[in-house]
Amino acid sequence: MKILIAVSNKEYSGPTLRVGIRVARAFKASTTIVDVGEKVSEFNAKVVGLSQERLESWNFDRPGVDVLEWAFEFLAEKKFIEPTEIEAGFPKNTLVDTGGNRSEVYLKGTICEDVNLILRNGEIISELRDEVAGHQYDVTIIGGSKKRRMAHDLIQYIDSSIFIVNQFDPDKLYKILLAVDDSKGTRKAVKYGARVAQAFNIDVDILTISKTEHFGEGYKNAAERAAKFIQRCGINYKNIYKVGDPSEVIKEVAGNNHIIVMGTSTRNPLKKFFKGSKPLKVMENCHCPILIVK
Amino acid sequence: MLGFSEHSLTNFLFWITQKKWFLITMVISVFLLFIPAPSGLSIEGYRSIIIVITALMLIVTEPIPLPAIAMYILVMEVYLGIGSANDIAKSFMNDAVFFIMGSLMLAVAIIKQGWDARIALGIITLTGNKTRNIVFGFTAISAILASFIGEHTVAAIMLPIAMTLIHFTSEDKEKVQNLSAVLLFSIAYGALVGSIGTPSGGGRNVIMIDYLRDSGLSISYINWMLRVYPLVLIQIPIVSWVLMKSFTPEFIKLDSGVRKLVVQVAKSAEMTGRNTIAAVIFLLVFAGWIFFSESVGLGTIALTGVLMYLVGGFVKWEDLSKNTHWGVILLFGSTISLGSNIKTTGAAVWLAESIVNFIEPVINKLPFVADLIVTVMTTTMANVLSSSATVAVLGPITMNMGQDSMHLGMVTAIASAFGYFTAVAAPACTIVYSSGLVNAKDFLKVGWKMGVISIVLLVIYANTYWLFFR
Repeated sequence: MKILIAVSNKEYSGPTLRVGIRVARAFKASTTIVDVGEKVSEFNAKVVGLSQERLESWNFDRPGVDVLEWAFEFLAEKKFIEPTEIEAGFPKNTLVDTGGNRSEVYLKGTICEDVNLILRNGEIISELRDEVAGHQYDVTIIGGSKKRRMAHDLIQYIDSSIFIVNQFDPDKLYKILLAVDDSKGTRKAVKYGARVAQAFNIDVDILTISKTEHFGEGYKNAAERAAKFIQRCGINYKNIYKVGDPSEVIKEVAGNNHIIVMGTSTRNPLKKFFKGSKPLKVMENCHCPILIVK
Repeated sequence: MLGFSEHSLTNFLFWITQKKWFLITMVISVFLLFIPAPSGLSIEGYRSIIIVITALMLIVTEPIPLPAIAMYILVMEVYLGIGSANDIAKSFMNDAVFFIMGSLMLAVAIIKQGWDARIALGIITLTGNKTRNIVFGFTAISAILASFIGEHTVAAIMLPIAMTLIHFTSEDKEKVQNLSAVLLFSIAYGALVGSIGTPSGGGRNVIMIDYLRDSGLSISYINWMLRVYPLVLIQIPIVSWVLMKSFTPEFIKLDSGVRKLVVQVAKSAEMTGRNTIAAVIFLLVFAGWIFFSESVGLGTIALTGVLMYLVGGFVKWEDLSKNTHWGVILLFGSTISLGSNIKTTGAAVWLAESIVNFIEPVINKLPFVADLIVTVMTTTMANVLSSSATVAVLGPITMNMGQDSMHLGMVTAIASAFGYFTAVAAPACTIVYSSGLVNAKDFLKVGWKMGVISIVLLVIYANTYWLFFR
């Protein structure tokens, strides 16, 4: 299992990193933390690189190294990396250029074998897509963004499950809102939902929505299977059945104290591109953390 | 769906979003190709204008890598019958391209010598620890150095000095926001105003000199300096005054910062024999530019300097190669080829005459309006793309907008340095922006002031001081 956590600065990425490490622990996943810096115009890229090399000889770090250093200190505080790594301190001088605007620092983890810290530069969706495709991550964890296009692009183009840590409050008591139906993505969503519930030690509300009063056999079976699985994991749960438009109902039930977990859309990519999808509508409507399982 | 997997459909959709500006540009070029050429313009001239418009769209939006844009220009010039493959190939390379290549490599060689510590000591000794004086010092030194070695080299050398001063004044970025802006902009804007001072200050100057030479007009290194350097010297105090007014620094004196900086640079190694030889090589290059550039070309002399640094072991080929963007050199070659082709096909004259006819009523009453329009057009373009590409493409047009091609050409070259407004175009601005201590809004906040002042100053200067050179 491999997890990618995208951070951008110390001020805003705290909740993302906190949630990311908790999830990584629950999945015992190999963890990578990436900071995607701004794109530099290709015209000036080499000159800027030369200037940054010069700055390093004056002991100034490249932009983004301070974010990785902050992430390192967080990992050390949570004892996510080996004590020897913590003692040695953040190895900023061993950032290795792995080509294609990417530099990497490798650390030894306590929960998993590999913990990597990476710096990339470029357009964020393009860089995350490259990173996920090149290193096969299962889940990408990222903070919320006000840009509507970002939500669409994340779901559409990143080839892993996406966990958007929207307005996460570490002092609040959340529940998981697990949206199930008869699509083939539900099974994996239920597994991930259970793991996340275990990571945070919280209850699960299993939500099944029908557009009409009649709930088909497929929906009922999906809800029951989910309930059995959650129960076997030793997690408290409740089944909720609602009628209405899925994204509206999810928004209403989620309120501001749920982490939504749902499967990806089964629509083909072209329809998704032009008409959107349920997960996208939920992401746009709801302002709580959401995990879309692919 | 239609035999394509979901994965490949997603990849295709992603490709479209990434390449959308390329697709839009292709649609526009096909559309324009179907429209008949305007009267008075040859087919080849019209087609070269289409390539210019589409190439500029690609350069600004960067949907494809820069070398791909260069190839686009090259193949379109051949396919659309602007010239044969050999003609186009020849137009890609000239002394200006040699100069751009040479100056980028000289930048690497010079920066690797590590002269920044000594320059820092020199500046602080002259300026003392008052912020106002340091800002003036940074502007003046950046301008004077940039006039000889180019803005990007100077920005890369000066940036660590400024950042060290800022860091030693306060490690809390919020407490030194204005101080950071004032020091970093003094470097960027100082380098920009200085880069027009001599032909070797920037590729754009050499491109213009080549265009002038093609028109039978020559200008020596010293002559250029005599015409332009006073403008550099006038703008230095103006830049520092505008910056101090726009960003009132949090500290009037930087005594603690200066003291620690002096201690830090004093720890650097003493000048060695090798350092001296490296400096001498540069002085030889500089002398070559002054005395021999008219006979052998600025580019040849720049490459001779690079050769000497390589042979002397002052820089490794691997470092030069790694830090030189060959794609950028290819692209400059292609924009120069475009510029040359809009000249030979008559498109440049047609465009110039169209603009002049449009503003004729005003020009007849106020002759300096042509200068104003050239300056504003060039400044606008130079804030969205490289100044060298701006001059390469606009030069042939602006030089035909009046009787005095020399006058108009030099106004264009100088105005292309007014890249104050954005962090993306001028390398000095991008370098300073990459420090993370200034943001894009800061550029707009102070850039428009410098832009207006420079434009007005240039128009007045070109129509007063330059009368002595007629």
